[in-house]
Amino acid sequence: MADFIKQNATRFFANNKKGENAELLADLNSEYRDRRKDAVKRVIANMTVGKDVSSLFPQVVKNMQTEDLEMKKLVYLYLMNYAKSNPDLVILAVNTFVKDTDHVNPLIRALAIRTMGCIRVDKILDHICEPLRKCLQDDNPYVRKTAAIGVAKLWDLDQERALENGFVTTLQELVSDSNPMVVANAVTALAEMQESSTSKDIFIVNVAIMNKMLAALNECTEWGQIAILTSLADYKPLDSKEAENVCERVIPRLQHANGSVVLSAIRVIMIFLRYIKNEEFIKGLIKKMSPPLVTLLASAPEVQYVSLRNINLILQKRPDILQNDVRVFFCKYNDPPYVKREKLEIMIKLCNDKNIEQILSELKEYASEVDVEFVRKAVRAIGRCAIMIDEASERCVNVLLDLINTKVNYVVQEAIIVIKDIFRKYPKRYEAIIPTLCQNLDSLDEPEAKGSLIWIIGEYAERIENADELIENFLETFLEENSQVQLQLLTATVKLFLKKPAQSQEIVHRVLQTATNEIDNPDTRDRAYVYWRLLSTDPQAAKAVVLSDKPPISVQTRTISPALMDELINNISTLASVYHKPPKAFMGNRAFSADAVKKAAAADARDEEQIIGDAVLDTTSGAPAAKNTIADLLDLDFGSSEPAYTSPPVSSSKPASNNGPNYSADLFDMSSDMSGSGISVFGGMGGMGGMSGMSGMGMGMGMGGMQQQQQQAAAPARNDPFGDLGGLGGFGQPQQQQPTKPAQSSAENDLLGLF
Amino acid sequence: MTLFSLFTNTHSDLFSDRKVIIEKHWHELIPRRVVDFFNDQVSRAMADGEDVTREDVLPIISSPKYQLINVYRDGLTYLSPVTKEVDPMMVFEFLHRIPDIMQEYFGQVSETVIKENFVTVYQLLEEMMDDGFPLTTEPNALKEIVPAPNILNKVITTMGATTSVSTRKMPHGMSNLPWRKAGVKYTSNEIFFDIVEEIDAIVDSTGKAVSCEAHGAIQTNSRLSGMPDLTLSFVNPRLVDDCSFHQSVRFNKWESDKVLSFVPPDGHFRLMSYRVNLPSQQNLPIQVKPSINIGANGAKFDITVSLRNTDGKPVENTVLTLPLHKSTTTLTAHCNVGQYMFDPVGKVLRWDIGKIVPRERAPVLSGSFGFGSSSEAAGNAGYNIGVEFLINSHSLSGLKVDVLKLFNESYKPYKGVRTMTKAGRYQVRA
Repeated sequence: MADFIKQNATRFFANNKKGENAELLADLNSEYRDRRKDAVKRVIANMTVGKDVSSLFPQVVKNMQTEDLEMKKLVYLYLMNYAKSNPDLVILAVNTFVKDTDHVNPLIRALAIRTMGCIRVDKILDHICEPLRKCLQDDNPYVRKTAAIGVAKLWDLDQERALENGFVTTLQELVSDSNPMVVANAVTALAEMQESSTSKDIFIVNVAIMNKMLAALNECTEWGQIAILTSLADYKPLDSKEAENVCERVIPRLQHANGSVVLSAIRVIMIFLRYIKNEEFIKGLIKKMSPPLVTLLASAPEVQYVSLRNINLILQKRPDILQNDVRVFFCKYNDPPYVKREKLEIMIKLCNDKNIEQILSELKEYASEVDVEFVRKAVRAIGRCAIMIDEASERCVNVLLDLINTKVNYVVQEAIIVIKDIFRKYPKRYEAIIPTLCQNLDSLDEPEAKGSLIWIIGEYAERIENADELIENFLETFLEENSQVQLQLLTATVKLFLKKPAQSQEIVHRVLQTATNEIDNPDTRDRAYVYWRLLSTDPQAAKAVVLSDKPPISVQTRTISPALMDELINNISTLASVYHKPPKAFMGNRAFSADAVKKAAAADARDEEQIIGDAVLDTTSGAPAAKNTIADLLDLDFGSSEPAYTSPPVSSSKPASNNGPNYSADLFDMSSDMSGSGISVFGGMGGMGGMSGMSGMGMGMGMGGMQQQQQQAAAPARNDPFGDLGGLGGFGQPQQQQPTKPAQSSAENDLLGLF
Repeated sequence: MTLFSLFTNTHSDLFSDRKVIIEKHWHELIPRRVVDFFNDQVSRAMADGEDVTREDVLPIISSPKYQLINVYRDGLTYLSPVTKEVDPMMVFEFLHRIPDIMQEYFGQVSETVIKENFVTVYQLLEEMMDDGFPLTTEPNALKEIVPAPNILNKVITTMGATTSVSTRKMPHGMSNLPWRKAGVKYTSNEIFFDIVEEIDAIVDSTGKAVSCEAHGAIQTNSRLSGMPDLTLSFVNPRLVDDCSFHQSVRFNKWESDKVLSFVPPDGHFRLMSYRVNLPSQQNLPIQVKPSINIGANGAKFDITVSLRNTDGKPVENTVLTLPLHKSTTTLTAHCNVGQYMFDPVGKVLRWDIGKIVPRERAPVLSGSFGFGSSSEAAGNAGYNIGVEFLINSHSLSGLKVDVLKLFNESYKPYKGVRTMTKAGRYQVRA
């Protein structure tokens, strides 16, 4: 039996040997119905595997007039596929179509009108209007609801015709239909048409329409519910009371098994929350939203992914949600990496002094996983917790020390990078661990980790007995190092010299000499020049600059600007909410304004950090505007007895805008700003970076060019705590990390041409 | 919110061997090249690291023109390229329905099954979506429109005889209750409720649950005549933390009285799904105690399984899987119950214990494994044990059906209730 069936299957897929079409042709013309039907099936089979059977068009269409529903459907399938390539022949089918829209069986009426609409050929348009009008007024709701979608299909091809024939009006009337399924489909069609209409007056959700939609909401199919909820979100409630009423009616949808219904309902509630003034009511709503969101996390990984991205958004808007549910975001070892990454982000967002213990022990667990990228993110997350929660910092440091003791290379390196941030946040608190860190000196091979440790040594040189030996050790390979490390070494050596001049006079001299004579990288070389001049003209001033207090850092858990946030909340459960970008930023074929690009870039930069799990550190000092300062600096003469650093660093105190990176910078805050996303790790050094930029200008860069470079370099240099200087130098080589985020596909441009 | 095209292609680890099995466009034609682009992306992602599997590839991939939304199930990729802003959740829900429905129709989903039933598959796809809008996705309703293949049908098609699909049936959505057809008749009226709870848990090496919740579903098989209006009540409904219902359940009744009031569809359906958060001190039915001592070149391990809280019921189909580090080359072990197997390619140790009866000796698996080359990473890697089991007539959350009342019909229905607890995503950290 089984063999028999298989044979049958392979028969449909028989190789397209010579003459198969001829054979089919004969069978399609056969006088026996069964043979004809069998032939149609084979034709469809060939069609589905991509073989060209369009030459059989007239013969297949002849078989359309039949009372056999299955046969009819198969012919319809064929027609939809090949009508485009045989527009002239379609006319053969029109009469049967029109006849079928009058059939006694509503199923056939609906099928005919549905298929006619799917044949996207002008010739059909001339004949579709009358049947469509009839079907829209059919007694049977199944036919009406099918015809409603038919109007959207016609609209897509010919808006004029749809308007002239009054279909839009009829559709608007169908929103008041007695059958909820018809209402849902009318709403679906109208919303779709509204989107592509130029006048945007096809479907405006007013009180009357809203009430009709609410009435149909409970009774229609899940897909209809999604359509209604989506349209409902466009309604602007008159007052708080009305918004509350709508929310009341929408709440039961949170209990739906379909994740899309749930998220669509959440979108409506999140939008309407803006209008609600009753605090008690808001609290109740927030409470009701948590359980369904948690339930979504038990679904398929794809659904989890979309849910997590949306939860991330919702949490930034309403941090009081999901407060007691951090456990559900703990990662299972076999979660796909994209799910783990998102869970980790949310764990950090939910982190507070009550659950930190639990979260830390999870993060420590993750640090022993096999997936290196994830391990790194987990370690970084520990650092973010330490910076966020003062009381927990000691426990975090202890966990990090445990991890360093595992001696697993990438864990150690990541931990050291993180500890540098902790030192930045809590200066002088954890000096005792420095010896442990220094023990791992030899295992560091990543520039960022190396740089971090060097920074720590420079910063705490006076407490580290053998600081000069350690620095010396690093200096052996000075010339081979990555420029990030070179810059760190340079600064650390100068710090060492300022703190312990006796021990390190020789070292600092040697380093500056090497850097100015043998290094071609302008950033490194120029910084060395600046240090040199500073030290030779006024060591006291050098001290004031190099050893100045760094601005404090903090972790931002809200990574999206309020304006973008509102737009994204409006787009919950869409691709925008997954990418955390406004829709126009990623739907490729649309041109968008420079402003949008900037906004998107900002979002992107923020987003990037989030995904990479980097600590988003921000200078809380506020970043003064750049231009004046830089202009002031232009007047400075390094050789003069009035050194640069004595001019007050702050020229204006425009606060850092939340809306993306700060490009502005004053002399001493340059590094934080130039890192593009508000990362300021090496404040003191950054100041010198500003100087280095200055002398860079002395080498032929025009002022205007400089500013422009800054603006350009700032955005791509995001996420790179050391890249600040590279960006500042503005010599067209901003350090940019490879994006590892879902939306990015920059590398694929070669294939783009295809589409 | 529209989904216009679907490609289903096979996936195998041989990158060259990916072909399109189903191509269906509900709106305009999208060129097949998009599949090549997609496959290329998948290959790239998988080439990223040796541990990256097909499951690890992002479900939404961006290209300049299309957003490639895809679901990977049973070795098949369901790919939907979209060109404008959509609700990706809706697309995922819909894409998952396709294999769900095929499963319902053909009993399994595979390349062969699809090819054997392509005419049905295409008819189904046609009914499930219209011009990018989901149309009919309820299996009960679909079966009325597209006949499921059965042996008889197959014989008839094979013989080339007519299958006259009659035009008598009224389509879905035409009765007052879209989910129930009129005129259902049975000689004996019965309804069966299967309460199946799956435990999702992360348990640490001391046996404490780090996170733990039960996901329950009430699968119902209704064989009742006429238009029965049912009310099902529970002994302890307040246990439930979150729930979702079949379309037929009156939500307000649940909100006010915590009872399920509904007119059931005919046949199989899922009446309710629910979630119960379990406290971390929850007594899990089974305790897995792993101890793994890792050295530079390998590790010694032993794993003990004991029953804890099963109300005296045996635990069945117990299977433990322990993925080992990639550098593991050798394994020797011994167990007192069941059988173990080491897969040297996938580096997974699988211990099939089977049935564990209370108060019998506890199953123990002990042995050692060795790394091909000693490495720090292997020495520090954490281990996780995946646990599968099921317990009949047991409900971990303790949810109990109380009474079933019937209105609107005069007969007395037979009510059958079965419960079962299963491991869902249940993991023990070693």
